[in-house]
Formats: sequence, structure tokens, C-alpha cells
Amino acid sequence: MDTIIFIIRRLINALFTLFLLIVIIFVLIHIIAPTPEALARIYASSPHVPPQALQAIIQKYGLNKPLYIQILTYIWNLLHGNLGFDPYYKAPELSVIMRFLPITLELVIPATILAVVLGILTGAIAAANRNKPIDYIVRGVYLATWAAPPFFVAIILQLIIAYYLHLLPPYGLFNPSLTAPKDITPFPLINGIITGDWPFVISMIRHMVLPMITLAIISFGIVTRITRATMIDYMESDFARLSIMKGLPRRRVVYGVVLRNASIPIVTLIALLFGYSVAGAVVVEEIFQYEGMGYFITQAIFNLDYIAILGTTIIIGISIIIANLVADLLYGLLDPRVRLS
Amino acid sequence: MSEVTTGGLKYMLKMLIRDKAGLLGLIIVSLFLGWSFVEGMLEIIAAHLRKPSLGWVLLPYDPLKINLALSLKPPSLAHIMGTNLEGQDIFSRILYAMPWDAFIAVVVVFSAIIIGALLGIFAGWAGGWVDELLMRITDAFLTLPALILVIAISVLLGPTYQNTIFGLIAVWWPTYARFYRAQVLRLKGMDFVQATRLSRVSRFKFYYKYLFLNSIDPIIAYAALDFGNVILTYATLAFLGIGKPVGYPELGAMASDGLSALPSGWWWPVFPGLTILVIVVGFVLLGDRLQDIIAGRVTY
Repeated sequence: MDTIIFIIRRLINALFTLFLLIVIIFVLIHIIAPTPEALARIYASSPHVPPQALQAIIQKYGLNKPLYIQILTYIWNLLHGNLGFDPYYKAPELSVIMRFLPITLELVIPATILAVVLGILTGAIAAANRNKPIDYIVRGVYLATWAAPPFFVAIILQLIIAYYLHLLPPYGLFNPSLTAPKDITPFPLINGIITGDWPFVISMIRHMVLPMITLAIISFGIVTRITRATMIDYMESDFARLSIMKGLPRRRVVYGVVLRNASIPIVTLIALLFGYSVAGAVVVEEIFQYEGMGYFITQAIFNLDYIAILGTTIIIGISIIIANLVADLLYGLLDPRVRLS
Repeated sequence: MSEVTTGGLKYMLKMLIRDKAGLLGLIIVSLFLGWSFVEGMLEIIAAHLRKPSLGWVLLPYDPLKINLALSLKPPSLAHIMGTNLEGQDIFSRILYAMPWDAFIAVVVVFSAIIIGALLGIFAGWAGGWVDELLMRITDAFLTLPALILVIAISVLLGPTYQNTIFGLIAVWWPTYARFYRAQVLRLKGMDFVQATRLSRVSRFKFYYKYLFLNSIDPIIAYAALDFGNVILTYATLAFLGIGKPVGYPELGAMASDGLSALPSGWWWPVFPGLTILVIVVGFVLLGDRLQDIIAGRVTY
């Protein structure tokens, strides 16, 4: 029963955050463009629109109505999967986004997992060897990766691994001489696995490795930092002392008992890391010409495509809120104390 | 009270200099901010007098001069970071671009502190549904990565330098609002604050006065880190073509232009990226050490 109430509470919380996000975006737009005409110019993605066309846009999107009506209309449309019509792809916005989003998710989800694994490992090693050279090295590395611009990491990896060592392809989604398998799911990689098109799957994975490693590198530092700090705290705790007094070897206490307990709070970081990776993907996809959401956003920036930017922001918001929810629920399941408080 | 804070600052500086990492951070940050101030002043004066050449008197080369004979020269003694496709000296362009990054970092962080302090203290003081609503709003802001929201705001506004500053400020204040709210809540229960009820001091004013002065130390430490975050975010935005200053080079934008020269002209995108890395490492080292000093964990 407790668990169900906990889940429902978190769900309501998530929906409310989404609602506020939409309100914030609309309020900001209205600060920027206070009159219906100014709004219509933004919708038309061009400052030079004839007055009649402007009026048509105002009528079509109801821009002369009060702000709360516009927000409610947008939410109503959102609930019906209607994010507007993309003027460049000549298709409903949602269907355009849904073409690019799965490609980015295929990249970002493994990158997040890789970042968590890398972060916990390095954090544990640093904590176990506190104030020894390896600790300083780990801390130096995460500091540098934290401070590195995503595009810099991407360029360095592309230069060294793809261009100089020729280990992996420098850019693209898959070998252009191959054809993508037909759409069974929205995820091309999964389609390849289902249809057994192994050359395609291998090509996709080879193109995925570099952007994935880049995303993991720019985001794992925070996990290292928190794992290290939590483990150092736990190593001085009573249960760690007890384990040592019981006669367990120090190694098993540190990497078994302490690490297991210290990695539970890391679950709450998953959503944050996911957010980092999605934001990083915007830049990284551009460099690796990986045609996912990031590539789509870059194009929308270039075209000043307002509807696409608004749509992608909302969809990314929804993905991150879902990631938050999953992390929260997982944390509640792993650590019963969270559910009770 | 001001004496206490300057004493705190002096103490912080003394502890910083003793620590190798902290000292390195302090040196990088001082060089960056010092250079940006000098070069920025020159650029302002040059723009005012309509004599752009004044802006590059301190630079090895004219950063804007196109000379196709020097196109894509690798790093050498004459051009320590090489030249780009137009034959412009990359090192000069990096130095020329720095004040713009420093300015955006300073403006965004200070505006965020002021807005965050006003709203956060107000929320903590008012309590109840006002507090609840404001915290929910900060939650919503913090849910999305700053980069995504700034992209949305700047593109809607028109991706100019000024609008990008506005966009960054719009997403940067929530962290500070939460910080100041937490400070108010911490103070609320203390005896000497309760005592202000007896005197006729307005509690609202009291919080502002007291908190502004007493939060200077932790805010300095966090702001030092945050300068780096703003520079990183801005460089990434500029890389995507948002918020480039008109008529001036920008570090992220230089890296993005340089992509076309890969792999043979690697120096073109790599050096601007490396510069940002060094600057941000400086701020991170400084902020990190300052936080340790304030928390009293000077030695690990």
C-alpha cells in the first residue's frame, strides 16, 4: 500500500513539473513577444511576413486569446499528440521528432549506463586509495573532464581514434552503402537485431561508440565525486567497522559492503546524468554527424524553426521527467527508508 | 560586519596560496580576468573611437585581417597556435575573444545571485504557498538541462549576444534562490533572530541585510565554480551558432568553424577548445578549494 501511494505521489509530482515547465516557457515567450503580431512573427519563423498572413497565423493558433487559454490549448493539443506542423519537414511536428528521438535515445541510454559504471568504479578506486597517487589521478581526471567543453572531447576523440588510428568511422549513423532495415520499432538498432541484419547492426554500433564514449566522459565525473565522498563517509561508519571486526578482509569490506551501500544514492543521479547526456548530445551529434535529436535541434536553430524548438524542448522535458520518475521509484525500491519519509 | 567578511576573504586567500591546486586555479583565473579586463577596455575604447586597430595593439597580429597566403598554417614560432582558413592568427583571435566570455560569466552570475537572493529570501520569509510555488518553479527550471532551455529562449528571442545573456540569466537564478531560501530557513529558528521581533526591526529587511553580508563566503566559492559553468555553457551555445558577438571571434564558434578543417587542420578547432578547458579548470580548482576552505576541510 505504501508503495502504491509513493508511486502515485511521484507521478503527480512529475506531471505538475511538466505543467510548470510549459507555463514557464509560455510566460517567457510572452515576455519576449507581448503582442499577437510579434508572436505570429515568431510562429512564422520570419520577421518579414505580410499583414494578411500574420492575421491568418493569429487566427490559426489563437494568439489573440489570453495567455492561460493559449497554455491550456497547447496542453490540450499535447495530450492529443499535436505539437504543431513543421514548416521545413512538411509533416506533423511529433512525427518528425519521433523519427529523431529514438536515434538519440539509443545513444544516450547506453552512454548514461557507461557513465554510471565508470563513475562508480573510479570513485570506489579513489576512495579505497584515498590520498594515494591513484586518488589524485582520478580526481584530476574527473576535474578535467568536468571542465572540458563537450565539443572539445568529441573533436579529440574523433581526431585520434577515427582519423589517426582508423579504429572507428569518424562520422555518420551507419555505413551509407547499407540500407536500413524496415521500421518494426522506432529504433533502427532494434529493427536490425529483429530482422537479423547483422552487417547493419555492427555498422551502427561502430558509428555509435565514439559519440557514446564522448557523452560518458563529459558526464561521469559527478558520479565519481559522489561515490568517492559517500564511500569515505561509510568507511568510517559503524557497520563498516563491524564488518572489519568480524574478520572480513578489508578489500571485501570496501568493495563489497561499503560500495554496495554507497551506490544506492547514485540511482538518484541517473536522471541528472541522462539530462547531461541529452544536452551533450546536441553538440556531440553535430560533430559526429549522428542524425538524431541533436542534429535536428541544430538544424532548427539554423532555420529559426520556432515550432521545432518548442516541440523538442517539451519532448526532452518529458523524457527527463520520466527518467527522474524512474530514478525516484528505483531508489524507493532499493532503499525502503525513502518510501516511508 | 564588513570587517568580518574582509577578514574571511583574507583568510581564504592565505589558505588558497598554500595549496598547489588552489594556487594554480587562482593564477589561471587572475590571468583570464585580468587580461579580459585590459583587452575589454581596449575594445570598448576602440569601438567608441571607431578605430578597431586600437583593440589589437597588445595582440601579436590583427585578429581579423584576412590573408589567404597564410591559410591553415600549422603551429610555428610565428603563429604559435597556427592560422585558420582565412589566414588569421588563431592565438590573436583567442585573446581577442576572451573579454566576451569573461563579461558574460560576470553578468550572468551576478544577476543570478541578485535575482536568486531577492526571490529566495522572499520565499523563505513568506513561507506557506508562496514558498511552495517558488520552489516548484525552481524545480521545473532545474529539471531541464540549462543548455536546452537557453537554446529555446535564445532562439525564440533571436540568437544575438544580448539575448543569450538574457536567456542564461533566466535559467541561472534558481540555484541561488534555493540557496538563499535554505539560509533563511536556517536562520528563522535562531534565538537572536527571534529577538529581532522585540526590537522594531523589520524581519524582512533584517534577512536581506544579514544574509547578504553573511552569505558572501559560501557564495564566492560557489560563484567561482559557476563562472566556469557559464563559460562552458556559453561556449557550447556559440558552437551551435547562438549568441556570437557581431564582428568579434568567439571561442566556441571558432571551434565550430574549424570542424571543416579536420583532420589535417586540427589546430583550428583544438586550440580554442583547449583554451576554454584551461579557463574552466581554473575556475573549478578555485571554487573547489574555496569550498573546502570554508567547510574547514583544508586538508583531506
